[in-house]
Amino acid sequence: MGHRFQVNLRGIIDLLSHHLYSSPGVFVRELLQNATDAIRARRHLEPDHQGEIRVELIEKQDGGLPTLFFSDDGVGLTEEELHRFLATIGESSKREALEARRNDFIGQFGIGLLSCFMVCDELLVVTRSARGDGRTVEWRGRHDGTYTARTSEHPLERPGTQVFLVARPAAAEYFTPERVRQLASHYGGLLPFPIHLTAAGHTEHLNPTPPPWRQEYASASERRAALLAYGREVFDTEFVDCIPLHSEAGGVEGVAFVLPFSPHFHTKQKHRVYLKGMLLSESAENLLPDWAFFVRCVVDAQGLRPTASREAFYEDATLARARESLGQSLRQYLVELATEEPRALQRLIALHGLSVKALALDDDDFFRLVIHWLPFETTLGMMTLESYRQSFPTVYYVTTLDAFRQVARVAAAQGLGIINGAYTHDTALLEKLPRVLPDAQVELFSPSRLAQRFEEPTAEELEAVERLLHVARAALEPFGCEVSLKKFLPAEVPTLYGDVDDGAFRRDLERARQESDALYAAVLEGALTEEREEERPQLCFNLLNPVVCRLARVRSSEQLKLSVEMLYVQALLLGHRPLRAQELALLNRGLLGLIAAGLDEDDAGTGEVH
Amino acid sequence: MTDRDWREQVQALLGRATKLEAGEAKVMALEEAARLADIHGDTGMAFEVRGALIEAATFGGFPDRALVAFAWCRGQQQKNPQRFPEEPLLWKQKWVVGRLDEFPHVSRKQIEAALDDAEQCFARAGAGQRAMLKLRYQTARDMGDTALAESFWARWVEAPRDHLTDCRACDLDDELDHHIDRGEYAVVLEKARPLLEGRYGCAEVPHLTLGSVLYPLFKQGRLEEARNAHLHGYALVRRNQEFLATVGEHLEFLALTGNVEHGLRLFARHLGWALGHPSHRDRFTFLAAALFLVEQALDAGREREELALPRAFPLYAPEGTYSLRALRDWLAAQAEGLAAKFDARNGTTRFKELLFRTRRMREEVHPFPIPFPG
Repeated sequence: MGHRFQVNLRGIIDLLSHHLYSSPGVFVRELLQNATDAIRARRHLEPDHQGEIRVELIEKQDGGLPTLFFSDDGVGLTEEELHRFLATIGESSKREALEARRNDFIGQFGIGLLSCFMVCDELLVVTRSARGDGRTVEWRGRHDGTYTARTSEHPLERPGTQVFLVARPAAAEYFTPERVRQLASHYGGLLPFPIHLTAAGHTEHLNPTPPPWRQEYASASERRAALLAYGREVFDTEFVDCIPLHSEAGGVEGVAFVLPFSPHFHTKQKHRVYLKGMLLSESAENLLPDWAFFVRCVVDAQGLRPTASREAFYEDATLARARESLGQSLRQYLVELATEEPRALQRLIALHGLSVKALALDDDDFFRLVIHWLPFETTLGMMTLESYRQSFPTVYYVTTLDAFRQVARVAAAQGLGIINGAYTHDTALLEKLPRVLPDAQVELFSPSRLAQRFEEPTAEELEAVERLLHVARAALEPFGCEVSLKKFLPAEVPTLYGDVDDGAFRRDLERARQESDALYAAVLEGALTEEREEERPQLCFNLLNPVVCRLARVRSSEQLKLSVEMLYVQALLLGHRPLRAQELALLNRGLLGLIAAGLDEDDAGTGEVH
Repeated sequence: MTDRDWREQVQALLGRATKLEAGEAKVMALEEAARLADIHGDTGMAFEVRGALIEAATFGGFPDRALVAFAWCRGQQQKNPQRFPEEPLLWKQKWVVGRLDEFPHVSRKQIEAALDDAEQCFARAGAGQRAMLKLRYQTARDMGDTALAESFWARWVEAPRDHLTDCRACDLDDELDHHIDRGEYAVVLEKARPLLEGRYGCAEVPHLTLGSVLYPLFKQGRLEEARNAHLHGYALVRRNQEFLATVGEHLEFLALTGNVEHGLRLFARHLGWALGHPSHRDRFTFLAAALFLVEQALDAGREREELALPRAFPLYAPEGTYSLRALRDWLAAQAEGLAAKFDARNGTTRFKELLFRTRRMREEVHPFPIPFPG
């Protein structure tokens, strides 16, 4: 009796191959999945049943197309069930509907079978149900949508299912001994039932050993060596260490491998995940907490739900709990390193400081344990917080690169250590310090306050430079810049421009307003008026600098003003501050003025000779 | 600094920026590069760098910095239209103009002028009406002009797509607001399905979507799905201050489901964003939700709480213990202050009503425990 599918089978096969599956090779996974489901179902009926899967590649001597044969001793199907799967497929013309069908045994069976049409034109299924009347049913389906189902003339001796696929000429590449072996091991290598592959006159047990994390080892070091060897095999990477993973929620077990290099912190690590022993994805991303990007792992989960694409796990409460537990496994590892092998932890921090910092930020106890070993960039070079605090009882930090650049050179010359908090997590970690360690003093450092720490001039010196100060204040007032005068190292620095926190941005804003058209200038005006701070940038003159000392003795007020203005412009440019329109005018005027002054001197000199 | 030096520095900064995730560090690296180009008078380079800067600032939660960089580019474009054609700036103009209403100090008249100007620019580029209608719809909605918003909405969703309209994922996500405003929660969830199932997505979808559907899911009693949307969505937005308002939606949801402890931890983690956030509208969304959360905590009999609040917080206490009453009062003053500023500028009562809506939510609370995702 010939039947026709209720739907356009080609359409469904197209849908499967273009939207559901990444490669035609997944038909092997689907057939293994069907066999596995069938064996599990039979174990429900007969708990002592062992179950096994056999795969055989039958190559024709005459050069004809090879046939692939899959068999299992699972629960099998009755004729009624066979018809039912076809009916359910008939309703599943949408991807979502197909996905929903995967959740029941019959639906998955049908979808799995259909995937075979990506590599063959005709499929023969011979099955005998453990629950039925002992009959063997035979189903022969074609890719064009026709099929026949009937009682077989060659009954099976025991319950189970056999599937025969004759290669489509264009897909013959999937029917070689190497390819079949590779696909079956790839997807089914961790399945808990034996898979035997027969090909080229030779039979092989593809999964003789359980996953390495479930094996017994003579010693811890042997175990470590075996796991690292496994990591090398799976990821082709020489890992630094391995960490066992375990979570009750989701029934997750596996191993995390510590990367031998520092990943970019926005690269998501791609993990290899199995679902009940079947490979689900080699690029699952959502398995570990955010901070744990220093490892790649292999895990097998018993109770997590795959997403439609089967590339990741579905975000639900079980996954959230599993992620929490796996994070705990990793945390435990770090804690043990901290208490037992601090040197190893320091090496790990050198590689994966960002991960450690991220965890410390969220976890007070862990913070307490590791904070002093964490490295920070300071004006005196990289140092751990511990060595920094030995020199400086108060922790000073700036929060932006710009501020750090402003203070770095002078602070270093003063022997003052200031931490650059512009790197990811660093500011937050420092601000957390007094909360977790109440005796710690932490202070935000503003570049405009650097000058306050410098040595004050004596009253005498002050008197000598009074006019310089006076002229400088008047000259820089129009630019909203304050003036101070101190003694500081290095002496070759004539002035220090100290800006307020968002000073650079304020200047950008003002320049944009000057550059833009009337419409946007007005819009920016609106933004400018808001929350203007009282604090202003500051230009601090260095009385230890010879030029500044000479300036104090210049008699011409005009010349003095010009010099001050030029020092101001120079300080801005050295501080990476592009000039505003009025400053640019200053520069142009000033250059001409300086040239003119130089020429005057020259003229005067020439006059003397003659 | 020699010529080669500074160009290398600019390249190094650009390289550094591409490796950084969205956020302040990335924006600052690009600003620094733009300043170097400015100092050396290389307008072409400065223009190019600012293109990247506008994008990084827009998607990293710094709309003020995007605005400033855009205004500069716009000035160059107007002065030298041969060298800097209008077309490549249009997409960025859309980002910038769409957010002007989030700065309460920008006047209504200026916003309208910027919209009209954008419309002319888009028309010159031969674009259809779709992108502009959406901008006008969103602005009118944000500013509380409901009737105007409705009329633009109807025209927007019918206008054909063209080369300057947002991606399908964004458009669909933005359509949801209209139905949320009208309380059409079933429609919201039906329309959001392709986004939630991952059939369309982009840099901000489903990040935003998973926040928007929390209240509709809650109202429809689909609590398990709401919890999953929270867990999934929060993980997507927790590292980028561009999503401050979405974090606010998560806070509101946690308060609605009685997860006060969990909510307070999130509040503490993100308060720093709200304190300095350039978008005052997003500040408002976050602070109003936080206010509701703290009210819930007080209702539950909590008085003092250990919280890791940032140093920039005006009530900052180094030892980390806070009176929830003081916190509540501060949040209320902030949220009310922002609402008053917006409503005064807009000439409507939308923000006051939003606060009122939040206050009424106490009556809707329905406990549903959620694990803390860490």
